[in-house]
Amino acid sequence: MKRNGKFVRSLFLVMAALLAVGALSGAAFAEEKVIKIGTLFPLTGPCALAGQRCRAAVETAAEVINNAHPGMQVPLAAQEGILDGYKFVLVHADHQGKPDVAKSEAERLFDQEKVWGIIGSYNSAATKPASFVAELKQKIFMCGCSSSGALTERDFKYFFRMAPTDKTESLEFVEFIEWANKTKNSGIKTVGLIYENTEFGKHAAEEGRMAAETGGLKVVADVPFNPGATNLNSEVQTLKAANPDAVFGACLGGDYTLWVRTMKQMDWLPKAALNYCTGYQDPIIAGQLGDDANYFMGGTGYAPEFAELMPAVAAVEEIYKTKTDPSVPFDSDSIQEAVALLVLAQAIEKSGSLDPTVVAETLHANEWESPLSMGGKVAFAPGGQNLKAMSMLTQLQGGEYKRIYPVDLADTEPVIPMVPWKDR
Amino acid sequence: MATFLQVAFDGLLNGLLYALVAAGLSLIWGVMDVINFAHGEFLMIAMYLSYWLGFIWKIDPLISSIAGGAFVFIVGALTYRLVISRTIGKSAMSALLATFGLSMLLKNICLNRFSPNFRLLQDTLLGGKTLDLAGIIIPVPQLVIGIFALALLFVIYRLVNKTRLGWAIQATAMDKEAAELMGINTENIYLLVFGLGGACVGIAGGLLPSYLAVHPEVGALFSLIAFICVAMGGFGSIPGALLASLLIGLVEAFAGFYIAPVFKYVAVFGLYLAVVMVRPRGLFGW
Repeated sequence: MKRNGKFVRSLFLVMAALLAVGALSGAAFAEEKVIKIGTLFPLTGPCALAGQRCRAAVETAAEVINNAHPGMQVPLAAQEGILDGYKFVLVHADHQGKPDVAKSEAERLFDQEKVWGIIGSYNSAATKPASFVAELKQKIFMCGCSSSGALTERDFKYFFRMAPTDKTESLEFVEFIEWANKTKNSGIKTVGLIYENTEFGKHAAEEGRMAAETGGLKVVADVPFNPGATNLNSEVQTLKAANPDAVFGACLGGDYTLWVRTMKQMDWLPKAALNYCTGYQDPIIAGQLGDDANYFMGGTGYAPEFAELMPAVAAVEEIYKTKTDPSVPFDSDSIQEAVALLVLAQAIEKSGSLDPTVVAETLHANEWESPLSMGGKVAFAPGGQNLKAMSMLTQLQGGEYKRIYPVDLADTEPVIPMVPWKDR
Repeated sequence: MATFLQVAFDGLLNGLLYALVAAGLSLIWGVMDVINFAHGEFLMIAMYLSYWLGFIWKIDPLISSIAGGAFVFIVGALTYRLVISRTIGKSAMSALLATFGLSMLLKNICLNRFSPNFRLLQDTLLGGKTLDLAGIIIPVPQLVIGIFALALLFVIYRLVNKTRLGWAIQATAMDKEAAELMGINTENIYLLVFGLGGACVGIAGGLLPSYLAVHPEVGALFSLIAFICVAMGGFGSIPGALLASLLIGLVEAFAGFYIAPVFKYVAVFGLYLAVVMVRPRGLFGW
């Protein structure tokens, strides 16, 4: 009986100790002020390079918000954290560029990792199902650079996109062609479309076709291709046979280099080649193509050459460069992912709440300072499209992204027609 | 007519490239009955080797192709010794899964070490050069790859059919135990075949950076098409692999241009299905 009493006492002491430890650690968790944000990008697969840069951009924005950076001309950068000490903790996920994986990873991030919201997902095809998961769970999905216009035509309440859409860029391309025809006598009357056969490419081509036809241009070639192809000979041969005056291109990464090199091999160029957000905007790819990259054009939301227009970027970019290997500056896509987190931070701070519905309403109801955006501001339309999204047309000349249109922001005259391969 | 001939030339040159990639796979599959799922990754590592040799020491891919062949020969031999030999005599699925695992390993090592960056060599000896034959433009890098392919396939064909070593390889492929009873060291034959298969794809990989960007995913579609070339040509048949590769190159080019570019792979896989339905052993299979 005495031994039993000793045993009960020991058991009681052990349980008390365990309860004390549990209570202490519980208190510690309660005091931990973190907002878990999932990042969902293609970290492997054909678009891994772009995905890893987008992830680095979100990490950069988190570092700007979490730590005090006095002197940095970015909202909330001067203070440490938001909502009196809350800090962002990022949980990274990889969708490999596959829509089904994006959906299951979004579910895992919400259900198992318990993230508060998600930023992603670069490929429009992946963003679509992942943001659908977020909408069903009434959680916020911040989209930096996926450009398919369809994403913001779903009337979602928790989805917000920073970048301009393919529609905006298509209209810009046609406006530029009209201007070039009038002022430079470029004689561009026909258009060819070359695009990867994905959600992004198909939507871009559809918008390009509509904008061209509305602008009185005739679409004479429509060339989709499978991303990651071993060659693009038939594709370029088809373009060459149709010989359009201008080409609208939606070719990502390695496909972009293959497209450019195949055109060189076949000794053909249109008068103007205008690119959506693709391999054109990647400074590494442009550098590797060397002189072959010159005279191509594209819509650009940011390039290091824009420094004088967006002075606040430089300090943030220094952090970004430490997170990329090799160290590179922001590009048009990655910078939008940083903007996504910076705007979200402002909305949480302003709403004073971590209720996603309240934050979503605050995001819709206000206009946000965004020194990392070309427009300088961010404001959302119903459906989540950034009404202030802007890009300008650039042309690679001498390996540098020169601003060519709109005219009031241009720093260089465009070269139209493109210089033939044999004269370079 | 000029366009027709241009498309035909493009198709033939692509076909020869596929033949070069498929030759090694055909050899391994035919002799050992092993499907090497890491074949595309063998191509990828040879491309990386060629790229780095070109980037650091300015060695042209033409020269690097030899290094690529030698390096992947060693990788192939090691693969046999460390992975495949442990699966011999077990279910065919074991070797298949083992090479699948190897492909994942190689791809992720490259992803980790070299990042997913697209790497493009500039100023190569062949890069951007073309020949103009009466209006038909022939890209020199692809032409040289085609010549390499024909030469290599000829050498392999002669090796397998006209030499004592080749007869030993054929004997091992037909009946391993009988070959051993005849005094053939089948273990060494397997090792050599895996190495040779690697060397073929290594040479192709060494040449490709003349015009193609290198990245960890680059081998995927090449290996898929190589599987089709080998299956369509008949397992283990080098002439079969060549014929099938040329057919695939031509169908891809003509379907891509005359139907629609997006249908070119549909036509390729359709042709494959048609051939294996009519002749399940492939064109030259036994």
